[in-house]
Amino acid sequence: MIRTLALVLSIVTIALVSSRAWAIDRTFSGSAQVDYFFVPTEKGANARAIGFDGFTTELSLKTAVDFSDHLSATVKVCYGCHGFEADMAYVDYRFSDAIGIRLGRFSPTFGNFNLRHDPANHGMSDKPLPYDMGRMLRRTTWNNGVLPSPFPDNGVELGGTKWFGEGVQFDYAAYAIAGFKADPKALDLDFTQSRQPYYVDNNGRPSVGARTALTLRLAETSDLTMGASAMYGTYDPDNRLTYAIVGADVALRLGSTNVRAEYLVRREQFDVSDPTRFKYAIAPERGDFFAKHGAYLEVEQPISARVGLLARVDGLYRVGNVATVSELSYRSSVSRFTLGTTIAVERGLRVKASTELWKFSDDDAGGRSVAVGMHLSAVGSF
Amino acid sequence: MRRILLLALAPLMALAFASCGASSQVTRTDGLDPSSLPEGLRADYEVFARRCSKCHSLARPLAAGIDNDQEWAIYVARMRRMSGSGISDRDAAAVLRFLHYLVVAQQTEKERRGQTEPRGLATPRDAGEANAVQENK
Repeated sequence: MIRTLALVLSIVTIALVSSRAWAIDRTFSGSAQVDYFFVPTEKGANARAIGFDGFTTELSLKTAVDFSDHLSATVKVCYGCHGFEADMAYVDYRFSDAIGIRLGRFSPTFGNFNLRHDPANHGMSDKPLPYDMGRMLRRTTWNNGVLPSPFPDNGVELGGTKWFGEGVQFDYAAYAIAGFKADPKALDLDFTQSRQPYYVDNNGRPSVGARTALTLRLAETSDLTMGASAMYGTYDPDNRLTYAIVGADVALRLGSTNVRAEYLVRREQFDVSDPTRFKYAIAPERGDFFAKHGAYLEVEQPISARVGLLARVDGLYRVGNVATVSELSYRSSVSRFTLGTTIAVERGLRVKASTELWKFSDDDAGGRSVAVGMHLSAVGSF
Repeated sequence: MRRILLLALAPLMALAFASCGASSQVTRTDGLDPSSLPEGLRADYEVFARRCSKCHSLARPLAAGIDNDQEWAIYVARMRRMSGSGISDRDAAAVLRFLHYLVVAQQTEKERRGQTEPRGLATPRDAGEANAVQENK
């Protein structure tokens, strides 16, 4: 409650200060999505092992204040499965288009999807598996995606954009943030620690990362963006366990058609001091880490002024030892095939519907490796 | 499993086709109907629609309620700097020309309603008035 109150007060304070002092520009925006996720294959014995069905609500409220051409501040509060969170609370100071500095709490620049992570900005009800944060089936077994989005953190980022003529845009960013966390002798990242007080780095050593992207204008109505991202740091309090995430992304816009593809991989060390915690014998060489790969390919095609169709193929692939109690194997994978549609009911209000076919490499306790899920959601934005 | 899959796909397709049928009877709801805009502004609107829908729906800027050109200029500059925005200086100029039209249309609407009701988007009548204002500048 105190945290919620503090966030609300922050927004009000920024709004008041900006109106009384500099009185330049401020914008207020937000979105709300209610999604019903139905998993028909859940029916029957031992259903809870494979999935769930029910409503989730995601809400975001954002205030941005432009004090001048160079200085702006942004606060965004989100409400979701975890309650209220500060997704953004930062100040931007831009020396020029080519270089600027961001200070505060923000999602560091990584990949293409994170630009559209707000439910109002992506066509499907849920996120691609590499960026999934809690909507995927067998979520706890997989510990979410490769880089659950959004991933707000405290830190500083330098970045900018450079145009070459009218047809080439080059973007770049580099940052230092607190980084992901986990307890000592952990076997994997503990994402819950990133969104719970105490909002201070657990090891005093920043994680660092960078991204570059090149956008080429192919024609007046078509462009292509290619990007590469990386992040590296330690996540345990003793600074012994490292993680590295790299990604590549391509986004192609041909007329009204959007084609996007991304690949991410996270290489992560785990503590091997106690071999009894693992399902498999620890290899003498290169046995102290796992790699989690994730990729998606999606196509968005408007078929009328109101209706758009979407198709997406995504998946995860994990290689490496697992905890004794894990349902995963040394090599495990999950793939998902999704067809969806978005319907604009009114400006600012859309209905999304999608159907997913899931295939797992490992059977669940009920002996099943296939599941079907259906999303029906409504999202409003302003 | 095949039956489950077919059952799952059926409502999805039905929803899409039903909406396709309905769409011919209504105007564009996410963006604006270009034919409702002054002819000289349609190219600028197309640039706005193309660039500003890359990362978010057009409802966002159209419902932003920003009512002055200076604010839009700073806002568009911020958007232009977003990674992969694809908004060049020339695009930004076209976007701002359309947004100026939007500002005038909103002001016209505001004056018409006696500044007591929330701002809305231009009606066809307002669009014509706004166009006249713009042409007189």
